[in-house]
Amino acid sequence: MTTDTIKHKAYLFDATRCIDCRACMVACSVENNIPMDKTRIWVAGIGVKGEYPNLERATMVAHCMHCEHPDCMSACPVGAYSKAADGPVSYNADVCIGCRYCMNACAFGVPHFDYDKGLVDGAFIDKCTMCPQRIYNGQEPACVATCPTDALEYGEREELLKKAHERIAAHTDRYIDHVYGEFEKGGTSYLILSHVPFKELGLPEMTEQPINETTETIMEGTIPFAVGWAAVLTAVAGVSRVINKKKETATAKKEAAPHTEAKQ
Amino acid sequence: MKLNLQLDEKLRRFPIPITPAMWVMIAFIVAGVISALVRFAFGIGAISDLSYAYPWGFWISFDLYCGVALGAGAFTIVAAVEIFDLKEFRPLVRPSVLTGFLGYVMVVIALLVDLGQPLRIWHMMVYQNHTSILFEVGICVMLYTTVLAIEFSPVILEGLKQNKIAHTIHKYSFPFVILGVVLSTLHQSSLGSMLIIEPYKLHPLWWTPILPVLFFVSAINVGLGMIIVESTLSANAFGQGLETHLLKKLALVDVFVLLTYLVIRFTQLALAGHLHLLFTSGSMSLLFWSEILVGSIIPIALFSQEKIRENPKTLFIGAIFVVGGLMFGRFNVSWLAITHSDPLTYVPSFMSNVDYFPTLPEVAVSFGIVAAGVLAFNLAAKYLPLFEHSEHA
Repeated sequence: MTTDTIKHKAYLFDATRCIDCRACMVACSVENNIPMDKTRIWVAGIGVKGEYPNLERATMVAHCMHCEHPDCMSACPVGAYSKAADGPVSYNADVCIGCRYCMNACAFGVPHFDYDKGLVDGAFIDKCTMCPQRIYNGQEPACVATCPTDALEYGEREELLKKAHERIAAHTDRYIDHVYGEFEKGGTSYLILSHVPFKELGLPEMTEQPINETTETIMEGTIPFAVGWAAVLTAVAGVSRVINKKKETATAKKEAAPHTEAKQ
Repeated sequence: MKLNLQLDEKLRRFPIPITPAMWVMIAFIVAGVISALVRFAFGIGAISDLSYAYPWGFWISFDLYCGVALGAGAFTIVAAVEIFDLKEFRPLVRPSVLTGFLGYVMVVIALLVDLGQPLRIWHMMVYQNHTSILFEVGICVMLYTTVLAIEFSPVILEGLKQNKIAHTIHKYSFPFVILGVVLSTLHQSSLGSMLIIEPYKLHPLWWTPILPVLFFVSAINVGLGMIIVESTLSANAFGQGLETHLLKKLALVDVFVLLTYLVIRFTQLALAGHLHLLFTSGSMSLLFWSEILVGSIIPIALFSQEKIRENPKTLFIGAIFVVGGLMFGRFNVSWLAITHSDPLTYVPSFMSNVDYFPTLPEVAVSFGIVAAGVLAFNLAAKYLPLFEHSEHA
């Protein structure tokens, strides 16, 4: 799996710089007109670690990873998700049926659902959009523009990756030597640098092989399998009937035989 | 042509006397309908514990995963009779097809409650996403429910004394038989494939790329179990003769199906190098072994003895283990073995709810639907020519 071909925009998050101020959450909610209790962006971490006075805490800003091979898009039965050539994974509420399979499929737990909306209001999925209204007008996404410590950055994915690796090289004592999202499940458009194990930021360990390649292979095989299986079943039905006919005539002959003898 | 609307003797006994058992069913249905109305008015969160971490819960595990599996009796027995030409099993076809049909209708109704946009269910047919396993399951369930309706229609037509039409449908039913078995194979296995996309959430004792194979084999297993259970219950309820001489053969076949399942399951775990997890995963190990014990080992132990297969009572108990164990397994794979990553201190707090337990109204919706299904089967058994006897075969 190579991610050389990915040439588009991305985010870079540096956990060593995040001070858990949550300004990104406010900025996102204001920009996208989302109530705070349905925020598209959140801060996660395992809380305070260690014993006083050696305390440690790491936090991560979490929102849509804008995967190269989005599981949500692969899983959605009605194709409500799409991946733009320049990065964003977006959701179309107009076709969504509210099945919530995307929430199961997403390994990062990104899509949210309106559990408080009935039939009249309509219950939909919501998630980070990468602020198309801003990025297509030459601005950075709202969370990036607001971040006071430059923990969040935005730019060309290739350049951000270069920057990330340079930062690791310059501070080998500080960072874990890995950019999360560079290769994970075929690459994401949200790259993460950290000083604590990525698991402590809520990021699962992943293979480079996107899992939806497996399910999509299964789906591709469905029609050929169905046709082949139908042919096999029809053949079995035919053969079974022929065998049973033969058996029946054989037993009929046997039963008929003593009768004819008796007549004679 | 004037339509001949003479009714069968049985159908003329309308209206129905309502028995106490039927009142209980009606009470369940009313409770379910009320819960569903609250959900449609105020949202899924108003009556359920479903959350950000658990988008799917009791409804999907019970109504979809168990419901579809328990409807497998129909395609199992139809395949045996129409494809393998085992004519002796024909008396079991009609009740099994009806059980299957009602089961699938129940699944669809339950999904309409669980879907965020139930009025858009037709979107699946129009906005098809061919990479989605759920799309395949949805389309197969819709088509197969239609196939079951066609397969069952001769019974209703006979009830309406339209024997000619019934006979014509039956005569040309073979393509539908093949279609039904193919569709069943696809969606029974695809319910397993649907979980492949969750390798980081589903425990490795359950997660494997061959989940579809395991789901298909266990569907045949529970199909056989359900035929035994449902035949025994109908025999008791409607005073029909019990076809023990047929059912005991199904139980023997099930021993081989169950052994196949166990071999595949443990070979897979061994090849994936997960055997150590069988004893080191705490509560997950316990769930795994309970599932294997109740759903596989006990039924094998019971059904492999001729004495137990001959006795209708012990045969029934064995089948109850098959069905119960299967349901337990489906609950595991679609709910209990799906773990949230280590609890994080999320902000906001609504995201830190990583526990899920079904609420009373949630269960009421499912039970209401089951009660409606049982009631419908009851009425069909009373008023339609559902039970054929061996001598007609």
